[in-house]
Amino acid sequence: MSRAAALLDRLGHPGSIRLGTASAARAERLPTGLASLDALLGGGLLRGQVSEIAGRHSAGRTALACRVAATTTARGEMVAWVDPDNALDPAMAAAAGVYLDHTLWVRPRRPADALRAAELLLETGGFALVVLDLAESTRSARASCLVRSAAGTWTRLARAAQRTGSTLLVVGSSRQAGVTAAFGLELGPHRTRWSGGRGRPLLLEGITVRITVARSRTGAQGRTLVVHHAACA
Amino acid sequence: MARIACLLVPHLPLAAICRADPALAGTPLIVAEHAASHARVLAAARPARAQGIRPGQHTVAQARAIAARLVVRTRDPEAERCALSALVDVAASLAQRLELGPEGAIFLDTAGTAHLTATEAGLASALLARAAHVGLDARVGIASTMRAAFLVARYGDGCTIVPAGTEQGFLAPFPLACLAPSPQLATTLERWGIRRLGDLAQLPLAEVTVRLGAEGAALVRAARGEDDRPFAPSLHEPATVEESVALEWSVETLEPLLFVLRGLIERALARLAFGSLGCARLALGLGLADGGRDERIVPLAAPTREARTLLGCLRVALEARPPRAAITKAALTLFPEAIRPLQLGLFSPPGPVPERLATTLARLGVLCGEGRLGTPAVLDTHRPAAEAVTPFLMPRGTPRAAPAAEDAAPGSCCRLVARAFRPPKPLDVFAERDIPAFVRGPGFGGRVVEAAGPWRLSTEWWSEAPLARDYWDLELSDGGLYRCYRDLVSGAWFADGVYD
Repeated sequence: MSRAAALLDRLGHPGSIRLGTASAARAERLPTGLASLDALLGGGLLRGQVSEIAGRHSAGRTALACRVAATTTARGEMVAWVDPDNALDPAMAAAAGVYLDHTLWVRPRRPADALRAAELLLETGGFALVVLDLAESTRSARASCLVRSAAGTWTRLARAAQRTGSTLLVVGSSRQAGVTAAFGLELGPHRTRWSGGRGRPLLLEGITVRITVARSRTGAQGRTLVVHHAACA
Repeated sequence: MARIACLLVPHLPLAAICRADPALAGTPLIVAEHAASHARVLAAARPARAQGIRPGQHTVAQARAIAARLVVRTRDPEAERCALSALVDVAASLAQRLELGPEGAIFLDTAGTAHLTATEAGLASALLARAAHVGLDARVGIASTMRAAFLVARYGDGCTIVPAGTEQGFLAPFPLACLAPSPQLATTLERWGIRRLGDLAQLPLAEVTVRLGAEGAALVRAARGEDDRPFAPSLHEPATVEESVALEWSVETLEPLLFVLRGLIERALARLAFGSLGCARLALGLGLADGGRDERIVPLAAPTREARTLLGCLRVALEARPPRAAITKAALTLFPEAIRPLQLGLFSPPGPVPERLATTLARLGVLCGEGRLGTPAVLDTHRPAAEAVTPFLMPRGTPRAAPAAEDAAPGSCCRLVARAFRPPKPLDVFAERDIPAFVRGPGFGGRVVEAAGPWRLSTEWWSEAPLARDYWDLELSDGGLYRCYRDLVSGAWFADGVYD
């Protein structure tokens, strides 16, 4: 409302508009559901942009992506989960808060098909979040190279996302989208928490992960954050 | 007094063929029972009749001799059935009580149509307009009896309304041949000098019955416009909308076939529009040149009435699995369903446009394969990482409950989830005192840093694939945290997920 009022005020006094003096329009945000991460990113992921989550096995990438999906579906928005690895566990996703009836699960057989599927979904519009899960597909150096070398793919995906306002969240072992990504989050070394103490574990309690903002178009680059992932009871 | 409207298409075989191939309109077209030269002409279009061709009298060979540029088609029962079905849809769009009559005539009870059309003239105009919309040049007659309505529709000027109580006078100038008496009876009446329905109607019924029997009496009642039985309507609730076309030449490439299918889709959608219905899924049946058939069903994400969307879905389906031979016939079946109104809320975000979503889902279905696209479903099973999808449907509104609450600080908290390995990855496990100490799997492995377990899972022992496993959570020296199990039947180790 305040933006609309400010715009009307300025339109009412066209002589007062001077080129180069206007502040950048505030971009729409897609909250991640983690208050501290949202604060770090300035409100959440950028809508209509590509964001990335990268890390090794057990770095909490899928948990973070599920968290974003849960927050998005809780607002009634639609989420598409492109999963060429066929790795999503519906029961665990539901336990993590993802509303499955607001989720479209797409399981292409090859990473190249996954990129095409993501592009189709972005072009369709209406999906607030498209998760492209390439965690296994980008694990080996060769596969990662194949995905990365798809000429113009990431540019096309970024443009499609921008056109329709959908957010593309890429989950991988390493960052793939390069300069087309608005945010690149790298999930660093984790510490596993066990009940019963070290050396005599009884139950997996969770992991603690360090998130580093490796790339950001809105500042905060290089800042880190510690996130706890709790295992299911 | 009841008022009955009669809707009919004269020369239905001819009209059905012209409807399936609109390019034939205005040509000297004749329809014969079969393609042989000695076949009788069943129906002839106006240009053919203008050249002297008489249906029922001439054979195809004689007709060709009369008119050199004649277009000859054989009767297409499938097209006639679709045309008649379309005519029923037209009638059902304005009246609830219908009865199918002879020669493809449809009788409607005009009672109850006042809220749609104020007058009988309006009803007749609406029926004609809607019939034209589905490609049929129909005629309408409205009278107090079915017989009178049929006669004025069949032999009137195309849209005739007979005021109540004047049926006999209205029918009086009609020729006796309208009632199609038997040849013997026609000869007798001709000998009596009776040539018009008015002459016949004035004869005393008892005297005619004595001389001509029951058939003569029925003829007199018909000439007076009286019915021999009451109106017996039934409710019309179509389950599907079918349209088909028989191709004169076989089609071998996709684009010409899509051109043909577009016509079918548009005609079928015009029929659905009468009931404000959409197409929830469509079935395409193709007759092949090798004598076989190609059947396929194309589901849609949401009911739609957009021809472009349906055509796009058909294109994707045909590109993914082309028919094995050239196409000689195409039949399209649309399954109607009410279009769900999309109520956009002030505060709820808009979802995908249903029409675009349908096309996207069709494309994704081709890209991913069967059963690899939909809404993830949680199965009622103890089997870990069980997977299932249900057809994706646009949900309504926002979820009722908030997601699992996060804890605020420091840094916030997520729920740890496991990525499934489908199928489970076989492992080489070296154990010390039954506790895994070293693990080697495809693409990962290392010394076991921590191990929690085992937790026994024994389920589905009643099925053919029972499950008996000892589960472990293993943290390896490569940094991974894996969910592993030992199969109690085979003794082999597997990893079926990694916590991530």
